Amino acid sequence: VLVFTRRRQEAIRIGDRIEVRVLRVGRDGVRIGITAPPDVPVHREEIYEEIRQANRAAVAVTPQVDLSALAERLRQP
Amino acid sequence: MARTGAALPNPVETQVTSPDVQAGLARNAIAFPDGIPGFEACRRFVLLSADSLAPLRRLEAIEGPPAAFLGIDPRLVMDSYRCRLSDNDMRALGADADSTLLWFAIISEADGVLSANLRAPIVINPQSMIGRQVLPDDGLYPIRHVLATGKA
Repeated sequence: VLVFTRRRQEAIRIGDRIEVRVLRVGRDGVRIGITAPPDVPVHREEIYEEIRQANRAAVAVTPQVDLSALAERLRQP
Repeated sequence: MARTGAALPNPVETQVTSPDVQAGLARNAIAFPDGIPGFEACRRFVLLSADSLAPLRRLEAIEGPPAAFLGIDPRLVMDSYRCRLSDNDMRALGADADSTLLWFAIISEADGVLSANLRAPIVINPQSMIGRQVLPDDGLYPIRHVLATGKA
């Protein structure tokens, strides 16, 4: 892991397309601005992780629920 | 618990895969260039449906580790469902404003309760046969929107 000390308004460049800039430093948090090309997905880690977990849980789905009944109900307008 | 004989088509990996079946799967393959979070190695999927279980569908990986998701068009479980795709999502899907896209909310089950992930739907462009899971950072919709409990 690379560790840098950065002050407010200082930045780090990753390659030639990504910039990570410290915008504000508070007591409990740091506000960070990320500039990246559109093809580089940027997500808060906990959101990505939450969706990853949800997908993992979903893949095992062998519902002990009557899917026909659900399908039937969903067919009603 | 009552279960009927209705089932979605057998998982691809358990089917007898003749060359014909293989060719059919390849023809109907939907590319997921970025995979799906948790299944980054699955880059090609097929979308299966069965009349008895419509409008439920099954999205199944035909490449990479075995993975299959049960899902439904989110607009069928929430009338008011609206999700705006980012320019980047549109570009990745090879879609423009006129494209008709296919939406698929992944269904999961916990303790007999079925819920649909309305927060991060899978979007497929049938013209380009490209799909991706959209991950809005500030989603309006729940990851677990309850569809049904086990008690019929």
